[in-house]
Parts: sequence; structure tokens; C-alpha cells
Amino acid sequence: MAKQSPTLYSIAKTFIWFALASIILTLSLFGIVYIDHHREWKDTQKKFIKLKTEKAREELKAANQGVDKQKIEGISKAIAEAESAFRTHEKDYEKILAESAALDTKITKARGRYQDLKQFQDSYRYFFEEYSLHKDPKAASYDKKLKSLEPRLGQIKLELENLEKQKEEKDASAQGFISKEKELRKELDKVLDEKNLAEKRLKNIELTIAKEILDAPMLNFLAPTLKIQQIVLEDLQDDYHFARVQKVDRCTTCHLGIDQKAFESAPQPFKTHPDLDLYLGSNSPHPVEKFGCTVCHGGNGHSASFKDTAHTPRNQEQAKEWKNKYSWKELEKWDAKMLPLNHTQAACAKCHTNVVEVPKADKLNRGRALAETNGCVNCHKIAGFSLVGTESAWKSGPDLRNIASKVDKDWVVRWLQDPTSFRASTKMPKIFHLSNTSSPEDRERNNAVIESIAVYLMKHSSSVELLKPPFAGDKERGEKLVKEVGCLGCHTGAGVNVNDFGPELSALGSKVTPEWLYTWVKDPKRFSKDTRMPNMRLTDEQASDIVAYLLSQKNDSFEKTSLPEAKKEVRDEMILTHLQSTMRRTDAEKELGSMPEEEKFEYLGKKSIAHQGCYSCHNIKGFEDIKPIGAELTFEGSKELHQFDFGFIPIEHTRQDWIAQKLKDPRIFDQGKVKAYYDKLRMPQFNLSAEEIDDLTTFILSLTNSHVPLEMQRRLDLKDQKIEKGRLLVSKHNCNGCHTLDGKTGGLWTWAEDKGSAPPVIDGEGSKVQEKWLHAFLKEPTTIRPWLTTHMPTFDFSEEELTTLVEYFAYLAHEEVSYKGYETPVASAEKLGAGKTIFDKFQCAKCHQVNPESAKMGSSFLAPDLALTKHRLKPEWVKKWIQDPQAIQEDTMMPGFFPDGQSPVQDILEGDAGQQIEAIRDYLYTYEKTASDDPSKK
Amino acid sequence: MLEAFKEFVNGVSSPVAIFTSATIVFILFVSFPRQMTAKRMSVPILLAVLGFFGVGLTDEHFRNIVTTPDNVPIVGMIFIFGYFTWYAMKKAVENDRRIEKGEPTLEQAETNEKVLVFPYLIFIEFVVALAYAIVLVVWSIFLKAPLEEPANPTVSPNPSKAPWYFLGLQEMLVYFDPWIAGVLLPTFIILGLCAIPYLDRGTKGSGYYSFKGRKPIIATYLFGFWILWNLLIIMGTFLRGPNWNFFGPFEVWDVHKVVPLLNINLSDIIFIKWLGMGLPKLWFIREAPGIILILFYFMAPPAMLAKTAFKGIYKKLEPVRYSILMMLLLVMIALPIKMYLRWAFNLKYLVAIPEFFFNI
Repeated sequence: MAKQSPTLYSIAKTFIWFALASIILTLSLFGIVYIDHHREWKDTQKKFIKLKTEKAREELKAANQGVDKQKIEGISKAIAEAESAFRTHEKDYEKILAESAALDTKITKARGRYQDLKQFQDSYRYFFEEYSLHKDPKAASYDKKLKSLEPRLGQIKLELENLEKQKEEKDASAQGFISKEKELRKELDKVLDEKNLAEKRLKNIELTIAKEILDAPMLNFLAPTLKIQQIVLEDLQDDYHFARVQKVDRCTTCHLGIDQKAFESAPQPFKTHPDLDLYLGSNSPHPVEKFGCTVCHGGNGHSASFKDTAHTPRNQEQAKEWKNKYSWKELEKWDAKMLPLNHTQAACAKCHTNVVEVPKADKLNRGRALAETNGCVNCHKIAGFSLVGTESAWKSGPDLRNIASKVDKDWVVRWLQDPTSFRASTKMPKIFHLSNTSSPEDRERNNAVIESIAVYLMKHSSSVELLKPPFAGDKERGEKLVKEVGCLGCHTGAGVNVNDFGPELSALGSKVTPEWLYTWVKDPKRFSKDTRMPNMRLTDEQASDIVAYLLSQKNDSFEKTSLPEAKKEVRDEMILTHLQSTMRRTDAEKELGSMPEEEKFEYLGKKSIAHQGCYSCHNIKGFEDIKPIGAELTFEGSKELHQFDFGFIPIEHTRQDWIAQKLKDPRIFDQGKVKAYYDKLRMPQFNLSAEEIDDLTTFILSLTNSHVPLEMQRRLDLKDQKIEKGRLLVSKHNCNGCHTLDGKTGGLWTWAEDKGSAPPVIDGEGSKVQEKWLHAFLKEPTTIRPWLTTHMPTFDFSEEELTTLVEYFAYLAHEEVSYKGYETPVASAEKLGAGKTIFDKFQCAKCHQVNPESAKMGSSFLAPDLALTKHRLKPEWVKKWIQDPQAIQEDTMMPGFFPDGQSPVQDILEGDAGQQIEAIRDYLYTYEKTASDDPSKK
Repeated sequence: MLEAFKEFVNGVSSPVAIFTSATIVFILFVSFPRQMTAKRMSVPILLAVLGFFGVGLTDEHFRNIVTTPDNVPIVGMIFIFGYFTWYAMKKAVENDRRIEKGEPTLEQAETNEKVLVFPYLIFIEFVVALAYAIVLVVWSIFLKAPLEEPANPTVSPNPSKAPWYFLGLQEMLVYFDPWIAGVLLPTFIILGLCAIPYLDRGTKGSGYYSFKGRKPIIATYLFGFWILWNLLIIMGTFLRGPNWNFFGPFEVWDVHKVVPLLNINLSDIIFIKWLGMGLPKLWFIREAPGIILILFYFMAPPAMLAKTAFKGIYKKLEPVRYSILMMLLLVMIALPIKMYLRWAFNLKYLVAIPEFFFNI
């Protein structure tokens, strides 16, 4: 053997290392396969399969119990009998089967022969025709062949048919033996039908060993049970900044029961989606195949892991729970996070654009309304909401251009110090002495600013010549009038809180003079030409009474509040700060020195109003074209998270938490910061409840720049657009404060105990009244129902607004607009006579004429004057109304004279209900006013 | 106790402190290599470093930064490079001891023993390959490559860091003009490394670990590699945070941290601070002091040293190679010099010519 070579190290030890390394490597390779193969969603799907299996088992159990055991016994017995009966004849049966089989062979042979001969026939025919064509003598031989073939063919065909007939007969007789048993078995199947189906279903669902193997790593391309479920949406896209990527929603991988009705009470993630008729169902407006999930809920649809899909917890507790259960972590940088469930409605606005209210999105609509009422859209530009001066937006605060004629300077100072000290329900927010301006130095600065704003407003106000109330006015009468004449349609007052569209009528005695209030209620536009307060057409006496009542209410603690001193040094320092923005300190001091004393407060006032942005909500002289100071909120819902300044406040770093905190206390983000007075946050503090803040947060989250292709958006046709224009006007002028209209109940309608004395329901007005009349009525309301104390106000609509409203009513009722007028139907004298007869018979005039007699019945029985019919009502509508009033207006007191379309009067016009109705209608169109009723214009 | 330690570490951490202490450790290492590589010194040092990491990993912020999948290799780099440097020096010191005693070097001693390639090379290589595969597999299971959200062009990450192999240069950008730090210095690094074989033709000490015979060259190289390259990478990875502010190892990376930067140019120091007159209008007058200083720095020391300390080297290398060597050395030393000038005097640029966008 060769010389033993020297060793460098122990081979045996290295073997051990080798073995160790191999084992560890193998294990780590298994680790790789496991890591790649094991997925959260597979576990979830297994759980779902278990759930379904349990359900199927329960169904099977129920099906089993539902099976009629006796019947089964009976049938089984019958089957057994049939079987034994069959056995006695079994030999015969088998003989017949054998004969049938023999016949089969014969038939096959015969058929073969037949088909061969047919082929020959075809061939001979071909050759014969060819040769005949070319006048070849061979044709003759083929002709002979053909002729000889025919009889043979016929014979074989006959044979074949005979054999087939025999076989049929044999088979039939064989069947006779077993037919009874077959029938009985069919019956048994029918009884067990449900159970069988349930069993089949269970088998399909149940997880078996074979299925588990097919789910194993290398084999799961064949027929896996566990697989990713996805919805590919061609028309919707995810915005990845530099590319738009087709949405692919894989949510249904885990949310397996989301569109099936059976899982309402299943645990998450299998729970059924609420309201399947509105979302997800294939007949719903949002079918899941076209919309998917992420377009409404947000999140990362491409992922199938709980964390990476950017689920957002509802609150801290759920966040903790998720951290434990799913090792959930907030995705720091993914900016399309899922909306928390309480803000899902924010996503509706993506597609439902250009509408006043999004159907069924009550939270979003409330948020929008709040944003408009509180003036958010005045200060913060939001595209589509805040075009001031257009129909989309109006200044939410009163006009201050004539304020010197309304209040005195001291009142303005006290008001600015704290608006809620005058009236707790005011919508005016608190601007001064907030959380970031409460230090003693800042308070002094605030006082100086308040004084200067008041001075400026008073100085730059025009004066309006006010009317003097001619009477002293009676307080009690005034209170009654406030309750009855319609003030409560917009205002809270006289102890009634039904509407709060306008300011609450309280404490006015501490604010305005009798002359001002009298001028205002008689003609609001005289004082403020852009006001939304309409003219109630009050008489002088009524106005004086109302003035007396309203001025009797005072707020003594407000009046007694001391006026804080506005220190001159503080004022001067602030003026210097302003001047220093354009010049150096020494120059500023010189400028200040040369400023006359009387002008100093005015100067500071102008600068303060510009700084605080008062002019965004109020019209103020000198600030006509200045841009509002608020940040633009058009895309606030898509704003980068790091652009929100959380300051030092320890809240969750999410958009919704920041927005909610901001609405709760706008100045809080200055806490802990060192800032000069003029650098501090300026947003005022609104008196919002927690629910209002939540609604507003939903609204703000809805302001995104997400791109939804036009095909997927909810597009409005021309009529819908006109309806939306009308809805905007309706919300601007608060028609729903009095009237039930367009799906909303009227405020005063709800409050009235006697519905007959409430403002009328105007649903369906478009199909009821003529457009020309409606136009004239809205322009200048006339009396239709003299017993109503409430006045329909004069709104002084512009021509465009009138057109909009007429079209709105018409299109809501699916009618076409026609200002042409409606032809009075031409009727024969006979018909008119019949109409009058029925009119008298039905005693229409009893309710439809207001006189002391009818007034005794109570206002719910009274009805409009029929003399108005000709110019007011549409002829077709009158017919429908007479036929079945309840169908048009539920709970109306108008009797239905034609129940089930049958006439109670059989002797006129052959008892034909249709003819009679027409006759009444035609008569009404010729009806003239009689002397007994003369409704006075109110 | 732990908090106090962290506060202390944060308090003493600063670019000056780290650079200076690293340089001191380096000088000790090349001056007393035998003592520094002995078990008595190296084991405690290793334990101290491991201990520091161990303690540090209990801190959430430290952990966040050190265990980021991108930064884990840099942590590994510290240990791996450290190990190989220590190993080489240990062997070198051993060889020097043997040469002194007249014994054969380790390599020579090994040459006399020959073993078969298989199994002694192949087998152990195979086992090592298996171990390597295990490391890769386990690494890929536990440290996944981050797939972050789609890039948003309007949001730049803060801090924006270069890949690790450029972090040294990014650190240099703090002290130098971008032209210098981004173009000139990398060029010199590359050219310098290419030039080494032509400058160092000495055969002494090649083929076996040795330190004594090649002390200056090895020391220079180790200085450039460890202090001017690795240390800056480590600083750039772990100690530079948002806005390229310096943060101690246990400091939170606060994006809002504002540190005043009050650096002034040499021309400002000379003409405004010392002489009290205004800055001259013409740039060559204004920057004349700086230009003269730079020229002096590059021309005087080589000439002076050729006559004195580097006489032998000058003779060996001949003028051309000598001047190239000196140029490279001077550029290399210019880095720490400029850094100390910045730290000590808030010096921004020695020569500042904004008219041509040229600053040194």
C-alpha cells in the first residue's frame, strides 16, 4: 500500500459536520417550501370550508329528519315484493334477453348489406349519368345494373324493418318484467330527493384526503381546493403615481361568504355584506363583478395578506385585537389605506358627483349639509362647493355692510368676545380666547383686535333708512303669530324647536332696535339685499305684534358683561407688527406716530379682518374681492399623511384622527409650539357635537382626487341634472322646513297636530299643477287655502331660479315642461250637465268652498277653491285624482268616490266611471267663482 | 442604569469624537500590532463590541435601524472585515517574530507539509458550501427584501441615502464641494488603487504575511481602508439620519431636528475677521490666500520630505513615481485635515469661487 498521506484535520469530525450541515440544509429547504406555501388566506379558506361543511351537515340532518320514514318502508316493501315476483319469471326474462341479442346480430348483418347495396346504387347512378351525358354506350349497361338493383334494395330494406320491429317487441316484453320495480325505485328517489341533494352538496364541500393532497405544494396546479379568488375590473384603476393599474380585487379570497345570503351571522371574515340588494348582488346598482371591493373600501386589492391589504381598525381596541390575532401593523407608507367602516360612505362621492345628496349615503349627506351650514366652504376652497356668487354657494353669515343700522358697537364687542354667551345655538364660531390665544398677553391682544374690528365695521357701514313701527304691538298676539304665520318653518322660537335653518329667535331684545326689527320682518331685502330670508307679506299690525313679542326676550347676563379694556400700548404694538411686514421698525414707528389717533383702531381693524378672514362668511365693505384664508380642501382626502401637522398631540397618525381632532379643537396643534401671535393657527372653534364631527370627517375624507373613468361614474342625464339644480335651490331656501317634498317630510308638517292646517304636501306637484301657474305662484304667491295661517313666503326668485324650480317639479314627476298651457277640454253640453249633476250629488262644494259652514268642520276637511282648477291644475291629473285620491296622496281627506273603479251613481252616463270622471273634470274647468267665497289675498 | 448609559453614549457621539477615537485605535493597532492582536486585547474588544450590540438591541430605535434587512450586511461587514484584518495582522506579527528569530515563515512551514486535495480540500470546501447555502436559505427566510409601496414622485424619502459602497463619498459631501467629493476624490481613489503595483515594486514581504518590512505601506492602506472608507460607511449607515443630521446610536431619528450650520470660508476669515476690510471683488485676489495655501500644501511637503525623511524613498522611486506617490498621499491626508479644519474652525471652503462653481 502506498505511503499513508498526512492528515490535515480529522476526517471523522468533518463527517459529523457534513451530516449536521446536510440535515440542517434539508430542514431549511423544507422551511423554504413551507414559507412559500403557507399563507394566511389558505387557513382562512380552510375555516370557511369547515363552516360550510357544518352548515351542509346541518342541512343534511334536517333533510334526514324531514324524510317520511313510513313511506320509505312502504315503498321498500313493495320493491322487495316486486323483486321476488320477478325472480319467479327470471328464466323467461333471460330467454327473451337472449332472443333479443340474437335479433341484434341479424339486424347488424342486414343493415350492413343494405348500406353496401346503397353504395352500389349511388355509384351506378353516377356512372350512368356521366356516360349518358357524354353519350357513351356504356351508359346502357349501367342503366341495366341500376334497374336490377332496385328490387333487391327494396327487399333488403323490408327485411331490415321487419327485424327491427321484432326486436322492439321483444324489448318491450322484457321491459314488462321489470317496469314495476323501476317505477317503485323512482318513487323512492323522489321521497329521498332532498336528502340526496344535501348529501351530494356535503360531499362536494367536505375536505377529503384526496383534496388535501391536491392542495400540497407541488401538486396544487392540478385541481386545488384552496385558491386565490379575484375579481378583475377592467374599468377601474389603482393610481400608482406614475402609472394607472387595472384593479384586481382579491378580497374574496378570505371574504368568501360576502355575497351569499346564508352567512349573515357567520364570524368575520365570512360575514355577508349588509344590504345585498344595494351592493354586490347581480341585480343591484353595484354588482360585485363590475365594482369589486376596493373602489368603495380602499385598501390594497392586489394583496391577499391581512396586513398588506391595509385593513384599518375602527378604534384602538380593534387595533390591539388585530395586533394579537393577525400580527397587524399599520402600513406606514401605503397611502390608499382602507377607510374605517364608519367612514365608508366617503367613497360614494367618487362616482356620485354633481348631486346635492348621494342616495342612501346619509352620513355623507349630513356632513355635506354641515359643511355648508357652518360656512366651511366659504373659507376653505372646495371645488364644486364653494363658488361664491354662483348658485353653488352663498355666504353663510349675515351681511355686515349695514351693521351700524342694526346693532351698536358695544354689542359687536361683546358678541366677538364670545358668541355663545349671547345665544348658545348660534352657528357663529368662537374666534378669540381659544386654546392657543388664552395667555394673558394674548388675551390683551385679542381684546385690542376685537375693539378694532368693531370700530372698523361701524365706520365702514352704510346706513339704511329704517321704518318706524306704527303700532305698539301686542306680545301675546305676537307670540301666536310667530307660531302660526310660518316663522317656525326656518327658525326656532316661541318655545318650539322644529327647524334651525335660520338663527334662533331669542334674546333679540338685547340686540336690535324696534325700528330695525320692524323694517326687517316687513321687507328683509331692504336691509340686506342678498339675504335668504323671504318676505312673509305681514301687515303692519302683524309686524308690530311680532316685533313686540321678539323684543320682549332679552339676555340680561350678556348685556351686563363688562367690556374688556383695549389697551392702547397693545394696539400700537400690533399696528407696528403689521407695518413691519413692509417696512423697517424705525420707519414703522414713524408711520405709527403720524397716524391720527382716531384711525388707529380702524387700521388695526382692517388688518385684523384681513388676518382672520371674516369676509369669507360675511359681506364686509372693503373686502369684496379678497381670497379666503382657509386651506384648499378639494383633495384633503388624498393629502399625503406627512403633510398633516400633528404637532405634539399624541393622537393616531391617520387622516381621520387628525381631521376629527381639528374639528374638535382647531387650535390644538399649536400646543407646545413657540409662535408669534400672528403666526398662530386661525381656524375658529365651531360648536360641533361628536356625531357632527364624525359626519364632517366622512365628508372631508370624501374629497379625493381618485380617478374613476366616466363609464363607471354615475352619470346624470339632462333631466336628472335639472332635478339636481332644483334640489340645490330647495336646500338653499329650506323648502323642507315647511313642505314634504322629494322624500323628505316637512318640519312644520311633522309638528302640526292637525295636518289640515299644516303647509301642504307638494310631492307630485309637477304632475298636478300647470307650469305657467306654478311659475306665477312662485314669483308671487297667492292664496289657495284661505284657512291656513301659515304664509307661503315671497322669495323674490330670479327668472332663472323660477325656471329651475318649475323644471324641477316637472321632472320629478316625470312630466314634460310646457308653458303653453293646457287646453280646456271641449265637452258637449250633455256631458257638462251630467258633470254638474254629479258635482252636486257628491257635494263637492261642501269642502271646496270656505264659508262659516264649512269652517266648522275643521281645517283638515277644507279644500282648495275649485275655481282655481282651470288655470292651476292639469286636466289629466284631475281625472286621476278624482278616480283614486289615496293613490296620489296617502291619507288625504278627499273621499274616494269610485272604489275599485266602480261608480256609485249608475243612472248617469250609463254608470261608466271613466265617463263620469271626465264629465266632472270638464265641468270643473268651466266652474266659476260664486259670491259666497272670496278668498282675500294674504 | 441602561438609560444613563444610552444618554452617555448619545452625548459623546459626534462625528469628531468617532473619527478621532477610531484614528487613535488605528494608530495603536499599527504601532503595537503584537499586543493588539494578542488574545488578551482582542477577546475583550470583541466582547465589548458584541456587548454593545447586545445592549443596543434592547433599545427599540437601535433595533429598528440595525435589523433593517438593508443594514444587516453592514453589521456583518463590521465583524467580517474586523476579523480578517485581525487575522492578517496576527499572522503578520507571527511571521515577523519568526523572521527575527530566523525561523521559516508560517507559509514556508506549511509548504513542507503536503496533503491530498481530496479529501482535505474538496471535502471541507463542500461542507463549507453547504454551510453557505444554509446561511443564504435562513437569511432569505427571515430577512425578506422589502417590497414597499409604489414610489410617489412628490415625496422624497428622508434620509435619501446612497448604496453602502457610496456612503463614504456621501459623508465626504458634508466637508467637500460636490465636484471634489463626487468626482475628483473617487477618481483619485481608483487611479490610486490602480497605481499601487507600479509604485510599490518592492519584492520584500511578498508571498507571506508580513508587517515589519512593509509598515508604512500597510499602515497607509489600512488607514485609507478602515478610517476613510469603512468608518465613513458605518457612520453613514447607522449614525446619519433625516436631513443628514448626525444622530447618536440611541437617538430617535427626528425629521424636525434643526442644528445650526455656521461655516465660513477662508477668505471670509482672513479679509473680514482678521483684516477687517471688505471682501475683494476680484476672485483671484479674494481667494489668493487659499490658492497659495493649496499650492504650498501640494508643492512644499514633497520637496521638503525628499530632502529629509523620505530621502530613501525618493531615491528608490525616482522623481516621477515619487511625485505621483506624494500626490496621492497628500490628497488622502487632505481628507482628515479638511475634516478637522471644519470641526475646529467651522471652515467651509479654503478656496471658494462661486463664479465658476469651483470650491475646495
